[in-house]
Amino acid sequence: MQRSMRVLSTGLAIGLAVSMAACSESKTPTTTPAGTDAGGEIKVGVVLDITGAGASLGVPERQTVEMLADQVNAAGGINGRKLKLFIEDNQSTEDGAAKATSKLLNTEKVDILLGASRTGPSLAMRPLAEKAEKPMISFAANAKIVEGSKWVFKTAQNDRVVLENMVDDMKAKGLTKVAVARDASGFGEGIPEMLTEIGKTAGITVAAVEKFAPDATDFTSQMTNLRASAPQAVLIWGIPPAAGLAQKAYKQLALNVPVYQSHGIGNQAFLDTAGDTANGLRAPLGRMLVADQLAADDPQKPVVTKFIADFKAKYNASPSTFAGHAYDGFMIAVESLKKAGTDPVKLRDAIEATSKWPGVSGVFTMTPTDHSGLTKDALVIVTVDNKAWKVAG
Amino acid sequence: MTDLLQLVFAGLAQGSVYGLVALGFVAIFAVREIVNLVQGEYAALAGLSAISAVGAGLPLVVAVLVVIPLVMGIAVLLERLTIAPIKKMTPLTSIILTLGVSTAVKAIMLLIWGPEAKGLPTFPGSDMTIGGVSIRSQELWVLGISVIVAYATIWFYEHTIRGKSLRACAEQPVAARLVGISPRTATVVAFAVAGFTGAVAGVVGSPIYLSSWQSGLSLGLKGFVAATLGGLTSLRVAMFGGVLLGVLENLVAGYLSSGYRDAVAFVVLVLVLLFRPHGLARKTSGVRV
Repeated sequence: MQRSMRVLSTGLAIGLAVSMAACSESKTPTTTPAGTDAGGEIKVGVVLDITGAGASLGVPERQTVEMLADQVNAAGGINGRKLKLFIEDNQSTEDGAAKATSKLLNTEKVDILLGASRTGPSLAMRPLAEKAEKPMISFAANAKIVEGSKWVFKTAQNDRVVLENMVDDMKAKGLTKVAVARDASGFGEGIPEMLTEIGKTAGITVAAVEKFAPDATDFTSQMTNLRASAPQAVLIWGIPPAAGLAQKAYKQLALNVPVYQSHGIGNQAFLDTAGDTANGLRAPLGRMLVADQLAADDPQKPVVTKFIADFKAKYNASPSTFAGHAYDGFMIAVESLKKAGTDPVKLRDAIEATSKWPGVSGVFTMTPTDHSGLTKDALVIVTVDNKAWKVAG
Repeated sequence: MTDLLQLVFAGLAQGSVYGLVALGFVAIFAVREIVNLVQGEYAALAGLSAISAVGAGLPLVVAVLVVIPLVMGIAVLLERLTIAPIKKMTPLTSIILTLGVSTAVKAIMLLIWGPEAKGLPTFPGSDMTIGGVSIRSQELWVLGISVIVAYATIWFYEHTIRGKSLRACAEQPVAARLVGISPRTATVVAFAVAGFTGAVAGVVGSPIYLSSWQSGLSLGLKGFVAATLGGLTSLRVAMFGGVLLGVLENLVAGYLSSGYRDAVAFVVLVLVLLFRPHGLARKTSGVRV
């Protein structure tokens, strides 16, 4: 008897622990009357990579969205209507993103979708948003997320814009033979091909291509193969911590050519994992990371300064560029909701009409053919010096 | 040639970590026929705890020395709470039970440490290049510590009275009890050993391979595959199997595609179960360890 009690209590303890974990992650609020354009709460569905390979992106994005929603609601909401967030974790997987999106669209009947953090999950959400005819704003990078879409927008700089900046920099330095290590998921898809295409006029060729899983931890094999191709420069295209570990492996394998990184590295996790090996790398990044080094009349300066101060005050940490992508996505949604309300067609039109709006990642101008909104000058070449971001000379 | 050596060397270090986890599987299975799927979690738990300890200001050595006994204690505690109360334990029951415990432990780690992967600071030493092969100082630490721990574990099971009594428990449970060896103590010791090898794997591997709430899953699976090479009963083959697996993974990643890296372990598992279900060792008698 005593023994069976013990089994029972153990089982209960485990059950509790598991359900506690489940609750803390999904945070599903109880359902409220459906928000129609006639009034009531505005339902914002957010799908993020909170656990799994994209955790270092998704967590600060969730923090940003929660902070901004509180700010908007504290100021009286949007035209008197409060925002209600529905945050879902896609576990950094495509099917997780699709499942979460279906739930938000069909069960919660959200008015607008935000997310996901990475390209793969965002691509999985796109067809669902289009079928339901609801506007969606992704925080991820690859241009495929928005190409030819009526309903989908995104806030991270296009990979093409990033590569254009890199090619300019390589050209100025006379580097032509580049070896590429890229993320094997959607974020890195097509990067070597695009580099070849953009770099053609500058005489840039891709000497070798290696792929790595977004959650990979050992990069010896990839970097060994890159080293064998004797490149003049190495391009690592990934997100932290993988990008940081690749940077480390690169230095440890005594590759001494210049290394370029993508705009996917703008957070503390990258600096922590790469450590001193990050010194001297070059990456086109948004201005937020170098906010203290911006000119006083820069149109982004007030936005960036306020965002960094708010984020620091609330979470006691500096926001990453990913938090910045979430800020831009969320605030574009808020601005558009202010103008158009929650009618899906009007709301979509309002997002597409965003013009010269200064955000954290750049000054956004959406058009019917450009649902990303940022151009080449949204980025500056940034380097790392002793675990701090610096505008590169 | 340099590339080949480079890949093999990196594989040796990675494989040693798998080997340490595999030792834990064998340490328990050889005594109680329990497949303990919490094994990988010991490593994740040790890595994460050590990171927190270092973050709290403890020197690296102290953090490691505090965390290893802590994880051993947790391993024993979990055994007392979840394995000990079961009267009729079969390998299948143990798999279902420990899978549940491992899920719960993962959830708790997620609550405590959050979802992001982190790494311990590298152990003291500097990286070097010998004949074009770059060697990370941490890899030497991993190899050195793994060899010591593997020898110590094998020596414990084969040359000490306590270790021999564990084998006696496995081979002749009734007779062992008659001469005064308690199966209960034997189980506790086996779990402590498993906690020890798992924790060591976690702390030495963390600076290179990072620790997160879910890193125990893949470590546990690969350690399990390495242990099946030894039929889950041979410590030597398990350690060797882990190293072999690590090298094989790196060669596949280097010469084929890094996308196949994680498939290696499962291909090996299927092949072993098909052709040598009792492991690579020749003996198929009932004698274990």
